Amino acid sequence: MDTLKVRDAQEVEDAVRAAIANEQPIEIVGHGGKRTIGQPMATNAVLELSALNAVAAYEPNELIITVQAGAPMADVLSLIDSKNQHFAFEPMDTATLLGTAPGAGTVAGMIGAGLAGPRRIKAGGARDHLLGAHAVSGFGESFKAGGKVVKNVTGYDLCKLLAGSWGTLAVMTEVTLKVTPRPESERTLVLRGLGDVVANKAMTTALGSPYDVTGAAHLPGSALRTTAGALAEIAQPDQALTLLRLEGITSSASHRAQSLRAALKSFGDAELIEDEASAALWRAVRDVEPFAASGPRALWPVWRIVCPPAAGGAFGEQLARESGGEVMYDWGGGLIWAALPPAADGHAKALRQRVEKIAGHATLIRGSDVVRAAIDVFHPQPAGLAALGDRVKRSFDPTNILNRGRMSRGSAT
Amino acid sequence: MTILMPEPDQSVLARRDEIIAALRRIVPGEGVISSAAEMKPYESDGLMAYRQPPMVVVLPSTTKQVSEVLRYCHQNGIKVVPRGSGTSLSGGALPLADGVLLGLGKFKRIREIDFDNRAVVVEPGVTNLAISQAVDHAGFYYAPDPSSQIACSIGGNIAENSGGVHCLKYGMTTNNVLGCEIVLMTGEILRIGGKAAECAGYDLMGVITGSEGLLGVITEVTVRILRKPETARALMIGFQSVEAAGQCVADVISAGIIPGGMEMMDKPAIHAAEAFVHAGYPLDVEALLIIELDGPQVEVDELIGRVEAIALQCGSTTCQISTSEQQRLLFWSGRKAAFPAVGRISPDYLCMDGTIPRAQLPLVLRRMNEMSEKYGLRVANVFHAGDGNLHPLILYDANKPGEQDAAEAFGADILRLCVEVGGVLTGEHGVGIEKRDLMPEMFSDIDLNQQQRLKCAFDSEGLLNPGKVFPTLHRCAELGRMHVHKGQLPFPDIPRF
Ligand SMILES: Cc1cc2nc3c(=O)[nH]c(=O)nc-3n(C[C@H](O)[C@H](O)[C@H](O)COP(=O)(O)OP(=O)(O)OC[C@H]3O[C@@H](n4cnc5c(N)ncnc54)[C@H](O)[C@@H]3O)c2cc1C
Ligand SMILES: Cc1cc2nc3c(=O)[nH]c(=O)nc-3n(C[C@H](O)[C@H](O)[C@H](O)COP(=O)(O)OP(=O)(O)OC[C@H]3O[C@@H](n4cnc5c(N)ncnc54)[C@H](O)[C@@H]3O)c2cc1C
Repeated sequence: MDTLKVRDAQEVEDAVRAAIANEQPIEIVGHGGKRTIGQPMATNAVLELSALNAVAAYEPNELIITVQAGAPMADVLSLIDSKNQHFAFEPMDTATLLGTAPGAGTVAGMIGAGLAGPRRIKAGGARDHLLGAHAVSGFGESFKAGGKVVKNVTGYDLCKLLAGSWGTLAVMTEVTLKVTPRPESERTLVLRGLGDVVANKAMTTALGSPYDVTGAAHLPGSALRTTAGALAEIAQPDQALTLLRLEGITSSASHRAQSLRAALKSFGDAELIEDEASAALWRAVRDVEPFAASGPRALWPVWRIVCPPAAGGAFGEQLARESGGEVMYDWGGGLIWAALPPAADGHAKALRQRVEKIAGHATLIRGSDVVRAAIDVFHPQPAGLAALGDRVKRSFDPTNILNRGRMSRGSAT
Repeated sequence: MTILMPEPDQSVLARRDEIIAALRRIVPGEGVISSAAEMKPYESDGLMAYRQPPMVVVLPSTTKQVSEVLRYCHQNGIKVVPRGSGTSLSGGALPLADGVLLGLGKFKRIREIDFDNRAVVVEPGVTNLAISQAVDHAGFYYAPDPSSQIACSIGGNIAENSGGVHCLKYGMTTNNVLGCEIVLMTGEILRIGGKAAECAGYDLMGVITGSEGLLGVITEVTVRILRKPETARALMIGFQSVEAAGQCVADVISAGIIPGGMEMMDKPAIHAAEAFVHAGYPLDVEALLIIELDGPQVEVDELIGRVEAIALQCGSTTCQISTSEQQRLLFWSGRKAAFPAVGRISPDYLCMDGTIPRAQLPLVLRRMNEMSEKYGLRVANVFHAGDGNLHPLILYDANKPGEQDAAEAFGADILRLCVEVGGVLTGEHGVGIEKRDLMPEMFSDIDLNQQQRLKCAFDSEGLLNPGKVFPTLHRCAELGRMHVHKGQLPFPDIPRF
């Protein structure tokens, strides 16, 4: 396997042009922490962006940061943290779930994956915070998309397409992201022992309240049985936890926590967990710690299911029961993480048939090479949308040189 | 007209009667309008300096009809311009002489309100405000609030990715739309997204939003609704310089406060607005900030105090804090009426729309004053200070020879300046025809070609809303060509590992 470690945007362009000329598909990686997500690829050349790692400009007052694509997440997060700012979409660190090296990952890798954490329900996803990008298309041309200001409607919003495109459309070389002030404090209300359907109702009630809930997660007792860390510390044997987060200035977060507690009275008496202890809980939810690769379910495929939030509880409960697997819920029920017992197809067929009935979709995030080769890792689209997706791919990468076959088996993307 | 539209296709115009007859078979009764008098109201959108009667107006009422109209037009090489309420300020809905104007005004139904999933499904002709009104009884609302919200359609909002004073805190349309039904130029009907937070595959919803009617016709929309904040209060703060006001905005944000709205007006705008609505604005200040905090009562009360202290530190000379809902609305009344207020002091005005990095505000205002002298035209400024979105209003008199051209040249200079200082050509009104020819100020040929290639993925013949957004129209085949030089040494000096 050839790995090209490019040092600047020009070298990226040269590399892509050469790849086109040689008809040599290339795999795009930052640190490569997510290489096991997607269809296994048959490329034998890797374009690595990690040497493009500078912070080009950080303007806290303008709420933006511009970095080279391969800038390490860890550095960027600590830089913006020093100004009391953060990425509001709370991107997950997949290291725990995938068993990759901790503390790694690049900014473009995060955008390429487009995964968002618990605050998704309030603040949106990576796509909502990517303001601008410079990238090299599969035509071997450097283009720019978007801008470097928070409000911009000039031309098509190509940034939206880049976010979550898993490196199949263009190689980002520089990105501009929106940053926002970090909340002064946080509070988590904990309800105990609720069944999934009832917990879903509690989360729906909380999210429909005026108290500005920024996280609503539910962890069934069985999913917590083998977890370590922050969740284990507050868990009781076989008792479910329902977590609701409030953030903001201290007086407000406290006040809203009290109001919400009263509004949820019929679901039980909520405990209150504050600040750092609360933050640790949400990191554990964000990173799906109950299904950690270091835990007993290491060999179980893990699915990421996105569905209308209110439908989550009933769906997840049935899925767990029928498959013998474990689930946990984020986004008020709109995101279900499911770890299912090993099966030849990773349960793809049965799971998808069911999830489509509630207008949701499922992506395999952790699975063996064999399972990933056997199934569609990303949710297959209806024919018309799939064809449009293929045309979009070709409009960026006509010879399918970038991450060929990563997003869809047997077709262009 | 100083902006050229694509040359009308005479062969299409020659078939006008036959085309109208075919369209009548698809949309019966009053759904097809072809008399010059009845087509008059469709001649322009909110950019009224530009007018063009369409070949014919079609007002379908079902997705099936939209699909059949588009398929027919696709098969017959006929251009189509979609239209919502026609409030676009950039000429996005300007008809074409040889084109069908496809009005979505009959798509007026709210199809579903789903409080549990905090989602509402509506037809595209529903107005922005009607969505909030439909969910108001349960304490919900739809956050993006363009000033035109009583009139503009949600379909138009999506096409323009509209924003309003709330978008600093609550985002633009793109951050509040979950899914849509869209009809491609071929007549193919697709559903993208739904009530889930994310759709599978590429984020097509994200690129359709803000595509100015060039990618497809939106026939249904699913939007996210939010619970209304418990309370809102506003501060009205005067400063002796624009710099001081700008500093205040920056300091509020670096104190970690994101207000529900943060708007600035300069002296000419303050005077025009005060004369119009008597909001009690101070007339002896150079800049006025209106800052609104919304949320729980305790939070709002505390943040009001923090903002007031910051303003004092920045040298505010007056600061009033609303103590009642009535007073809060009074503070806003002048800002919200700023456009018509300026309309009263000048026969005509051009409303520009660009975004700049906020720190560049003093420089941009100074340069705008210089341009004002150069062109001999007055300019008043209202803007979304929180996100650097400027709306300079250029005052002119269309009856005076040369003034409209001067105003347009002045406007173009302002937008060039926005790009020069690191900003963009449009923050919320779109490119349309108005800023079409300025696109090269911001984007290279390669950038624009990439955008047009995407257009080709949706509309391979370029029949949907041509002449808008892109200064040069390319054929899709020519855009697909690749320019790679074979034989170049593959990365001789890149280290390998
Ligand atoms: C302390 C710490 C905290 C973290 N916290 C978070 C967090 O809160 N949120 C978060 O998201 N992540 C966080 N991460 C890292 C994160 O989880 C990912 O692992 C990381 O961002 C993925 O980057 P990668 O370079 O390893 O991805 P890769 O596996 O290299 O890439 C992922 C995908 O993106 C594509 N891609 C990579 N680079 C480019 C490019 N330049 N252009 C186009 N496509 C590209 C790839 O082809 C691939 O499809 C954290 C990491 C650390 C160290
Ligand atoms: C007084 C006034 C104040 C304004 N204030 C604001 C403001 O604060 N913020 C802001 O962002 N804008 C503002 N605008 C601009 C305008 O209201 C918005 O751009 C609005 O979104 C346009 O909606 P519309 O339904 O009127 O669309 P139209 O003007 O009918 O069309 C606009 C564009 O959308 C396309 N389009 C419309 N419907 C569809 C559809 N169903 N499918 C596909 N394409 C479609 C058209 O082809 C056209 O390109 C203001 C306008 C006025 C007149």
